[in-house]
Amino acid sequence: MNKNTLGILGLFILIFGITWASNENFANGYNMTNLVKWSSLYAIMGIGVAFVIITGGIDLSIGSVIGLVAALMALAIKQGWNPTLTVFLLLGLSLVIGLIHGLLITKVKLQPFVVTLCGLLFYRGISRWLTDNQTMQYPNTEGLDSFFSGKVGLFGQFSLPSPLFFLIVIAVLAAFFLNRTIWGRYLLALGNNEDGARYSGIQTDRLKITAYVICSFLAGVSGLLFAYELDSVQPAQTGEFYELYAIAAAVLGGCSLRGGQGAIFGVIIAAAVIRLLRNSINLVGISTHLEFAIIGLVILGGVTADELIKRIVAKRRTAQVNAAKS
Amino acid sequence: MIKKLTYIAGAMALVLAVGCGSEDSANTSGGGEAGANPKTKHKIAYVTNGIDPFWDLCAAGVRQAENELGGVECEVHFPPKGLADQKSILETLLAKGIKGIAVSPIDADGQTKFLNEVAAQTKLITHDADAPKSDRLVYIGTDNYKAGRALGQLVKEAIPDGGEVAIFVGRLEQLNARQRRQGVIDELLDRPSQALGQIKFDEVAKVFKGEKYTIVDTRTDNFVMDAAKSNAEDAITKYENLACMVGLFAYNPPRCLQAIKEAGKLGQIKVCGFDEDDALLQAIKDGHAYGTISQQPWKYGYESVRMLKGILDGDDSVVPASKFIDVGYKSVTAKNIDEFWAEKRKMTALGAKKD
Repeated sequence: MNKNTLGILGLFILIFGITWASNENFANGYNMTNLVKWSSLYAIMGIGVAFVIITGGIDLSIGSVIGLVAALMALAIKQGWNPTLTVFLLLGLSLVIGLIHGLLITKVKLQPFVVTLCGLLFYRGISRWLTDNQTMQYPNTEGLDSFFSGKVGLFGQFSLPSPLFFLIVIAVLAAFFLNRTIWGRYLLALGNNEDGARYSGIQTDRLKITAYVICSFLAGVSGLLFAYELDSVQPAQTGEFYELYAIAAAVLGGCSLRGGQGAIFGVIIAAAVIRLLRNSINLVGISTHLEFAIIGLVILGGVTADELIKRIVAKRRTAQVNAAKS
Repeated sequence: MIKKLTYIAGAMALVLAVGCGSEDSANTSGGGEAGANPKTKHKIAYVTNGIDPFWDLCAAGVRQAENELGGVECEVHFPPKGLADQKSILETLLAKGIKGIAVSPIDADGQTKFLNEVAAQTKLITHDADAPKSDRLVYIGTDNYKAGRALGQLVKEAIPDGGEVAIFVGRLEQLNARQRRQGVIDELLDRPSQALGQIKFDEVAKVFKGEKYTIVDTRTDNFVMDAAKSNAEDAITKYENLACMVGLFAYNPPRCLQAIKEAGKLGQIKVCGFDEDDALLQAIKDGHAYGTISQQPWKYGYESVRMLKGILDGDDSVVPASKFIDVGYKSVTAKNIDEFWAEKRKMTALGAKKD
C-alpha cells in the first residue's frame, strides 16, 4: 500500500470515527449495508475513470453513459425484449462507446476533454429523445433484480449488497491488470511520458483505447446497477454529474490528472469517503443545504494534504541523496 | 468565399429548424401549421417545472381539454434542468409568438421580473406554483398550505399516539414545497391556521416538538433519486423511533418505502405522501403506507387550457376577482384507493397518448 492510500484511509477512519461518536446508530447493520452499497456503486465508476486518468486523459461522459444504459434497459423491457439479452447488448454498447472515444482520441487526435464532453451531451440527448423524456419504472424482472440489487444476509441487519460483489470482481481484475501485467505497467509509463513510452516501442494508442473502453464499460455496468437500485429511470437526470464524483474519487484516491499515477485500492477508499461524507452529514444533522460545500471542501483538503506530503517526502529524499553524495 | 459561408449558414439554419421542429413534435400533439387550418386555433403552451410522472398527468388534462373544448392547440414542455431551462423554453415560446402560456414557476420571487416580461408579450397564467407578485392573469393551483395541513391530518390518523416524523422533499426553493411543509408542521403542532400569502416559514435545520408529535428533520435531495433514497435510509438509521415518514414530492414516498422495506420495518414506520405515484398507491392498498394527498393533477392541465382559451376568446368572466382558482385536493387512503386509482389510470392512458 503506498503512502497516498494510507492518507486517504486515515481520512476515512477519521470521518468514520467522528460520525460514529456523534450517532451510535451509524454502525448498525442497516446503515453499514447502505454505506457499502453506495460506496461500491461510486467506486466502480471511479475505477473506470482511473484508467483513463492514468493515461493523462479524462472521461466526462460517464454520467450520460449511465443514463443511456439505464434508460435503454427500461425501454427494452417495456418493449418486451429479453432482459438478459438486453443486458449483454447494453454492455456491448458501452464497449463500443469506449472504443469510439478511444479511436477519436488516438487516431483523429482529438482532445479527450472535447470528445467526452460531446459524448456527455450526445448520450444524454439520445436517452431523452428515445424515451420521450419520460420517467420509467423498472418492472419486475425477478432474476436480474436480485442479481443487480439483491443482498446476501450475514447476521442481524448486516448484509452484503450485490454491488459489492461486482466491485470485488472488478477491483481484483483492475488491480491485477494495473500492477501485475506488462500492459498495466505500460499504461503507467504511458501516462508519465507518452512520447518516451512510444519511442521505447510501447503501442500507446492501443493502450489508450483500452483505457477508454474499460471506462465506458464500467460506466455501463454502473448504469445497470444504479437503475436496479433505484427501480426508476429519469432520462434527463439519472447519472447526471456522476462523472464528477467518479473523477473526484479517482483524484482523491491518488490518481494524478497529469497521468502516470493511480492505485485501485485508493480509488475505492476515496469513493467510500465521498459516500461516507453524505451519510455523515445526514446523521450528524448538518443542514441539508451545506452538503455540497462540505464534500467539496473535504476533497480539496484531501488532495492538498496529499500534495504537501508528496513534496515533503520528495524533499527529504533529495536531502538524503545529497547527504549520501557528500 | 462569402457565398460559401452563406450556404453553410443557410444549411445550418435549416438543420436547426428541422431539429427544433422534430423536438416539438415529440412534445406536442398539435401538429400542422395554423395556416393549414381555416379557422385559426389559439396556440398555447403548458410549461412544467421539471420532469415527473406528476406532469404527465397534468399533460393528460391538457389533452383532455384540448379535445373537449376545441379551438386551441397546445404544446407541453418539461424543462429538464431547473430554472435556466425553464427560462429558455419560455423565451423560445415568445419568439415563436405563442398566444398564451401556463407556467409553474420554479422560483416565484426570483422569476417575477422575467415573468412580467413574458406577461407583457403574451397571456400568462401560473399553475401548480404561483408567482403572486408577477403580472400573471390568474393562478390555478391548490392552496398548498391547506393541502399540507390535510397531509398533517393524515399523519395524525396514521400515528394517533404521536411520535417522530421526518419530512423529505426535492427542494425547498419552491413556494409550494415550503407551504406544504409549513402546513404539515403547523397541523402536527396544533398551531392556528395561517392565511396563504402571509405564511411565516420555519427554518429548515430545526427540530419541532409538539405535545404528541415531533418533526425531527427535513431533508432535500435536489431531485436526485439516489439522494432521495439515501436520505430516507439515513433517517431510518438516525431516528430509531421514527414513526412516520412524510414525502412532499411524488417520488419521495416510494423512495421512503424502498428504504423502509430494506430495513425490514414495513408497517412499523408509516408513510404519508403527496401526489399519486403508483408505488405509493400500491403501498396504500397493501397497507404499507397510510395515505396521500392528491392534487388531481389532470385538473391543473384542464383548467389551465380552459382559462387560457376563455381569456383568448375575450371572455373575461372566466377570471375570478381573487385571481385564484383552487382545484382542491383529495385525501386518498385505503378507503377510497380503488376508485381513485381507476381515475388515475384513465388519465395516465390519456396523457401517454401521442398523436
